[in-house]
Amino acid sequence: MGRKYDLAMGILAVLALIGVAAFIYQFQKGLILTNMRNPFSWGIYIAMWAFYVGTAAGGLVVSSAINIFGVKQLKPIAPVASLSAFIFAVAAMIMILPDIGRPERVFYMFIYPNPKSLLPWDFLVLSVYAVLSAVYTYVQLQPKIAERGISLPFGKTIMKKGDLTPAELENLRVKSERRAKALAPIALPFAILIHTVTAWVLATQLSRPWWYGGLLAPTFIAAALTAGPAVVILASLVVYGLREDLKPTYRLLAKVSAFSAVALLFMYYNDFFIRQWWDAGREYDALMLVLRDYLHIHAVEAVFLIAGIVILAKKYDTVSGLVAGSIAVNVGILAHRYLLIPPAYNLIPLRVPVVMAGESFEWQYPIAVGEVRGTLLNPEPVFVSYWNYIPSAVEMAITVGVFALISFVFLALMKALPVRE
Amino acid sequence: MVRYGMIIDLNRCIGCRSCAVVCKIVNSQPPGTWWQRVETVGSNEHMVPVGEYPNLSEVFLPIPCMHCENAPCVDVCPVGATWQREDGLVLVDFERCIGCRYCITACPYGVRQFNWQDPDENFKQGFERSGFEENWFAEGDYKYGYPKDHRTDDGRLVYTKTRPRGVVEKCTFCVQFVDQGIAPACVRGCPGNARIFGDLDDPGSEISKTLKDRAAFRLLEELGTEPKVFYIPPARKEGRGGVRYGEKI
Repeated sequence: MGRKYDLAMGILAVLALIGVAAFIYQFQKGLILTNMRNPFSWGIYIAMWAFYVGTAAGGLVVSSAINIFGVKQLKPIAPVASLSAFIFAVAAMIMILPDIGRPERVFYMFIYPNPKSLLPWDFLVLSVYAVLSAVYTYVQLQPKIAERGISLPFGKTIMKKGDLTPAELENLRVKSERRAKALAPIALPFAILIHTVTAWVLATQLSRPWWYGGLLAPTFIAAALTAGPAVVILASLVVYGLREDLKPTYRLLAKVSAFSAVALLFMYYNDFFIRQWWDAGREYDALMLVLRDYLHIHAVEAVFLIAGIVILAKKYDTVSGLVAGSIAVNVGILAHRYLLIPPAYNLIPLRVPVVMAGESFEWQYPIAVGEVRGTLLNPEPVFVSYWNYIPSAVEMAITVGVFALISFVFLALMKALPVRE
Repeated sequence: MVRYGMIIDLNRCIGCRSCAVVCKIVNSQPPGTWWQRVETVGSNEHMVPVGEYPNLSEVFLPIPCMHCENAPCVDVCPVGATWQREDGLVLVDFERCIGCRYCITACPYGVRQFNWQDPDENFKQGFERSGFEENWFAEGDYKYGYPKDHRTDDGRLVYTKTRPRGVVEKCTFCVQFVDQGIAPACVRGCPGNARIFGDLDDPGSEISKTLKDRAAFRLLEELGTEPKVFYIPPARKEGRGGVRYGEKI
């Protein structure tokens, strides 16, 4: 890797530092620096949170499938998969911090949890998942760590046990395999749970027809199984490259991702069809909002997902095909996650039916935005029933910064840990 | 057990927004934050009727917090910062709230509002944007509003004049007054006497009697939130301000 690696790490470090600076600035000034306001109270942070939860689950599903279902093809890349699960679970938790107004009180979720609310549950499940995937990665790498150690920067190596006899090493290998087998059935349910609970956070809200319903959790799982394996493909390509003996592994991952994307699109358009059929109502209006105002985001989602499916299903044996396909499905899923937010908020829940002689319609009761906007001569309304949300510079800096930070840590860990053969 | 509720008689509401203004002043709300909203139903501008002449309609609908019996905001709050007190008031503990804004997402009435920045900064900005060069409320200076912090019996901070940044706030039914046996400011400040406040569980209270006599409705009843703010629907007005209650005998 050498120079390319250093350059990548340098760029990621700069982006991460900009993100940290933006977060500190936002912490000082308040969330006024974002473009969220009272009528539109969650934005890109929450969309990214859902995205990272998705990518996190994929990794562990892949690596535990080896031990539960005996999918031997996946074995070589298992440590990379479970490490990516850990990194993205941490990313999801980091992503919440800039979104909340009082990050210094976040531990109240553990001191005063409200069992009816799904957020503390989500926090619990995510934390357990992060710990599990870290332990799982360590267990898998244990023999190799004993053999080769963890290489720190500046040429230092720790945890290397050079005096092990081949017999002892073999013993350690058997032990590691046994432990991994025992952990897998515990980890897999959590991989499914983090999605389900995250989806439930949104899907239980009857006041938001874009989310409400039973289909959101399965959609989340399909999205996770699309993005997760694709991320594992990218990570494995960085670490191992397209080795001949890994080709079956990549083929399987590409297939899983492509099939899940198909399932996702099916569930999505199934939902669209049902919403549009009745021609009226809040569910219908939410869909119309998507088709009217957010069609471009939906187009990105559909086009990239379909392109990703086609590429992954056909070109799984070339580097360019795998990279293009994985990136395409991830862009599609990213757009899918972003689209969770605007149609939920711009359909204001308090709608009053107005019945006139010639017409009848539902009128959205405006909400106070939370600040005085405009100037004396060009005042802007304080009460609005539609909020055109575009992430602000600070929001973008923090979002990009978190991504850079986790990529930095991922690459650094890949170098430090003995994941390679 | 006391269970507070409110009736708003839409026949009597003249849309003057006095309730919103008195609420804003008494509860020291920062610029851009309104616990109480009054709008003309169906219209883009307040006080502009909807429809086409001569079929016009102009109904004013004031929206305070509904203090739902089955409040979604209480259910979703991850840390129990929003809770329903025994007397039915849904309150926010400013010292507990972590500012996740899940409750704003859950509330179907849009009454919950977030402190996006420090109130001092907000006031300064508000003055600048509305054309006043001078910052009339310098930091630490006098500001409008009920002067004392208010805590519930178990010591939770539910009203403070200088709002902490990054927490959610909303209508409290003027908990600082209710705890002293005084009606909320909007009830006292309504020039049309459109509001009745009182104990829903006491059959002898004015609110219970009115609810027995008059047909009242609640907003978004289909969501099952069981709001404790009741509305008396407006009757059709004939002529200038007259209300036709039925044919003369």
